[in-house]
Amino acid sequence: MYRLDGHPDEWIDRSTVLSFRFEGGEYQGFGGDTISSALAAAGVPYLARSFKYHRRRHILSFANHDSNTLFQVDGVPNVRGDVTPLHDGMRVAAINTFGGLTHDKARYLDRLARWLPVGFYYKAFHTKRLFPQWERMFRAFTGLGAVSLDAGRQTSAKRYGFSDVLVVGAGPSGLSAALAAGAAGARVTLVDEAFRLGGSGIGFHDGTHGSTRALIEAVRRTPSITVCCATVAAAYYADHWVALVDAERLTKMRAKAVVFASGVIEQPAVFRNNDLPGIMLASAAWRLVLRYRVAPGRQVVMVAANVEAYQICLDLHSQGVHVVAVVDLRSAQDGVDDAEAAACAALGISVVRGHAPYEAVAGGEGAVAALEIVPLDAAGRIDSIKRRRIECDAVLMSVGWAAAANLFLQAGGTTRFSEELQQFVPSELPAGIFACGRMNGVYDCEARVADGARAGSQAASHAGFGVASAAVVAPGARCPSHRFPIIDHPKAKNFVDFDEDLQIKDLENAAQEGFDSSELLKRYSTVGMGPSQGKHSNMNALRVLARYRGVEVERLGLTTSRPMYHPVPLKLLAGRSFNAERRTPVDAEHESSSAVWMPAGNWRRPEYYAVTGESRTQSIEAEVHAVRNSAGIIDVGTLGKIEIYGPQAGLFLDRVYAGKYADLKVGMTRYGLMLDESGVIVDDGVIARMAPEMFYFTTTTGGSATVFRELLRLNALWGLDCALINVTGHRAAFNFAGPLSRELLQPLTDVDLGDAKFPYQGVRSGRIAGVAARLLRVGFVGELGYEIHIAAGDAAYVWRALSAAGSSRGLRPFGVEAQRVLRLEKGHFIVGQDTDGLTDPFEANASWAVNMQKPFFVGQRSLKILRTRGPRQLLVGFELLDPVRMPKECHLVIERGVIAGRITSVVHSRTLNKSIGLAMLSPDLARTGGDIEIRGEHGDPLKARIVPTPFYDPRHARQRAAVAERAVAAL
Amino acid sequence: MTVLEFKTRDLLDRFGLKGPGAAEWLAAHGIVVPPAPNTWAGAADADDDAILVARLGAGEFFVEDCVGGTTLRGVEPAPEAHPPGVYPVLREDAAFLLSGQGSLDVLAQVCNVNFADLALDSHPVIMTSMIGVSVLVVPQDSGAERQYRIWCDPTFGPYLEESLGMVVSECGGSYRGVLA
Repeated sequence: MYRLDGHPDEWIDRSTVLSFRFEGGEYQGFGGDTISSALAAAGVPYLARSFKYHRRRHILSFANHDSNTLFQVDGVPNVRGDVTPLHDGMRVAAINTFGGLTHDKARYLDRLARWLPVGFYYKAFHTKRLFPQWERMFRAFTGLGAVSLDAGRQTSAKRYGFSDVLVVGAGPSGLSAALAAGAAGARVTLVDEAFRLGGSGIGFHDGTHGSTRALIEAVRRTPSITVCCATVAAAYYADHWVALVDAERLTKMRAKAVVFASGVIEQPAVFRNNDLPGIMLASAAWRLVLRYRVAPGRQVVMVAANVEAYQICLDLHSQGVHVVAVVDLRSAQDGVDDAEAAACAALGISVVRGHAPYEAVAGGEGAVAALEIVPLDAAGRIDSIKRRRIECDAVLMSVGWAAAANLFLQAGGTTRFSEELQQFVPSELPAGIFACGRMNGVYDCEARVADGARAGSQAASHAGFGVASAAVVAPGARCPSHRFPIIDHPKAKNFVDFDEDLQIKDLENAAQEGFDSSELLKRYSTVGMGPSQGKHSNMNALRVLARYRGVEVERLGLTTSRPMYHPVPLKLLAGRSFNAERRTPVDAEHESSSAVWMPAGNWRRPEYYAVTGESRTQSIEAEVHAVRNSAGIIDVGTLGKIEIYGPQAGLFLDRVYAGKYADLKVGMTRYGLMLDESGVIVDDGVIARMAPEMFYFTTTTGGSATVFRELLRLNALWGLDCALINVTGHRAAFNFAGPLSRELLQPLTDVDLGDAKFPYQGVRSGRIAGVAARLLRVGFVGELGYEIHIAAGDAAYVWRALSAAGSSRGLRPFGVEAQRVLRLEKGHFIVGQDTDGLTDPFEANASWAVNMQKPFFVGQRSLKILRTRGPRQLLVGFELLDPVRMPKECHLVIERGVIAGRITSVVHSRTLNKSIGLAMLSPDLARTGGDIEIRGEHGDPLKARIVPTPFYDPRHARQRAAVAERAVAAL
Repeated sequence: MTVLEFKTRDLLDRFGLKGPGAAEWLAAHGIVVPPAPNTWAGAADADDDAILVARLGAGEFFVEDCVGGTTLRGVEPAPEAHPPGVYPVLREDAAFLLSGQGSLDVLAQVCNVNFADLALDSHPVIMTSMIGVSVLVVPQDSGAERQYRIWCDPTFGPYLEESLGMVVSECGGSYRGVLA
């Protein structure tokens, strides 16, 4: 390849010279060059190594409809070289090599091809002993590009976009569609993945191409059309939500109607060595010459099966590129393109009809040096004896097209195979989806423009603008694609899928093994699963499979198209990586108290509070000690908090919880267990009756959103006279607990905290430090305590007041870890940790929280059945007999070599001076006093004994204050 | 056109109300009730010294006083002593105001509602999601500029403020009084 002289339509800026490096060499290109065009102009003989056989590769599609030109650029992997602009100072390297492009150590794999057939990896590597070795080999060999773990965090500004009509593709039909929609009054967004408008409509001659230029000018003069070049429509999602990807960002475009004018993708001919450097698609060569002024070679052979081949030959000749011959798969008897063939012949280009490429011959540096051709009859049979050789240094392939219908299919459109066009064309279009141009089977330039106008008008009408055109544009008479441009060869190396190094025999072998549908063929052979996702291979693969099975292509159908259409950098998908984190109203207080943070769902909570001179373990133990001996305060603001009002509020709660609440006295609370329809525990909390028609109840931190949503659904379903209000974020909550809690709190509040006025499990409204508050006497941590609920805006003030009240009396804030220890000492289970997706109240020893006498509650019917069956497992308490070693949560209990349970919670309790925990066990093991064996970290057995719970203060005297009063008196 | 600006407005008095008697209770207390669901009445913009009332769906209301206003103090019914069919909703929202040229660009980066196409004559109230947070948005025209009053659950407030502030700064606007 080499650079040609200037042309008015070139996309390069010759006044800007750019220097770059490739595989250790220094090169230069021009402003406007892409990486691939610059390398081609510099005459680099090959640019890549193929995926499996590490064969030398060069430009094929020049649109990255193949992976030949993916590069590592300045540390970024898998950069699409065909479409990425060159920058000064770029450092470019080939991917998928071991030791560089030239000395790639894996290049010998090509000689081992016969032992690496399709799917060989399914049948090898079965020796378990050797598998770690195989795994290391696979990890080293597979994948493309290298990810730098030191790369800095990159963000991009994703955004939403809105449009009445989105037109995908800015060739002649797309431009026409945009203008028609705009003329009807719609706001139009026109996107194209090329850097400039016009697509295949802009060429060397103003003849038919002049109309495209006029369309471009008209678009530029239309303010209601927003043009987005170098933008890929990467995916279609429901309701016309299209992902538009450019170099900087992903735009989530919501349109009222979408026109697909996305054109067609050229398909390669399949013959031996069709992947040699110098062999490319004709459209690639055409764009190289027109836009970047790079000639494909000095002795060019065109493999043809359509009129475009001849037109390109004439264009190349006009630019000084020497075309040696046209090899037309169609015979002279077909009588097509005679005028174009004659025009080529008149220029001295040899036109050989009724012949097919048989084998490309490599020369120095592995590039194509000759093409051997053979006669091809109407039935598709070749005569390999009558072989002819044409010397050349470039082979162009123009044998057919496949519709670029991926997004159309993602939108729910269906296609049918047109025998006349040898192409899948749209058949059924969902509402709001329109197709035009070559994708729609319309190839003639004027017809494409008319088809675009039709589609644009119809799209605008669908979006509420103008009247839909009733025009019908018929496909042309010429067939643009050969029925079967695939030539067998006994020595194979005739590539169907260049990304995956798949040959004809690979697909036939896969079909022979039974993978003979398009979907199975894809998955077994990996055809279409490379970076280009079948853009250049799916159609030919279908043809091979159809021939093998003796059926028509239409019968096989296309594989399912899924996002993304082109590879999309993860940074564009991630955007700014917004992560909606919740913080309680006293977050700043924790920060100033040296909280060590932990995530709890989407909240951040203090794990513990760091104190100078204390280790993590010591701090947690100190926090537990404070709660047990003086007082502690914990922020429980993450709990779900819901209010329910109305005459039937109590009835509603009776239905959604397992216990009874309609008879709960005003001023009292009761524990609530929430079940699903199958009787499984899904949440728990405390229900407080504040007034005859008003309850206030809590949920778990993780369950608040789900529970509230479910309650709203049930309320809508049952239509009871009550209203639910979610105040989770609007109320703060603290648990103020310990033997000194009452004494410390009383001076701050107008609520009489004495047992007579405020018994255990009571609830009161009053003021704390002058702020309105609700106080609940709860016993989660097993000490005298008050759960204080206040408006979020007053939380920090009250927290500081409480902290100040207790600071001289040993009060400490305590975090999640200390709370875990405290509640475990009381044997309280945590839903979702000590229970799982199948645990019912009987298994959790929580049948006391269930009132089966109620007329109905969610899960009741299932509990009746479960009660008769008996539990599958039981939650029990245990203490470790080993004073030193500790198991972890989820370690298994083993009984006679069989799994008999698992640990759900385990801690070392300084208060009790032993390690304790909860475990789910098979019922026959769950006997108090019985011993169990836990499999530890390294498989070592740990002995434990089943004991009753609670472990601490089994009579609950401390939370009922009797002990507290003695402790205070003693102080 | 005015400068793009983003600021907090947490310290205004506000409360919510729902229930079959909520609309009547508001009217009885001299508070204008929006006639249609998902519309607002009252303060025409963020600087208006009037009360803003947003109707959330059919039977829930959000009421916010103006800057420096004290009209709403003590008005809200107590939860335990609510009138029949009138249920108070505690509103401790984080509140923000986005205004100025470039507001639509900021919103396009955080929310999938097409604010540009909204007809403000109908006083729309938008309940939607913004970068993962449920928000209430009232768009209003204030003279030459459009303002967007935004509220969310206070526990998401720091995240929303920081995130929107970052976007505003990147768009060249003023956040916390600092012009990017």
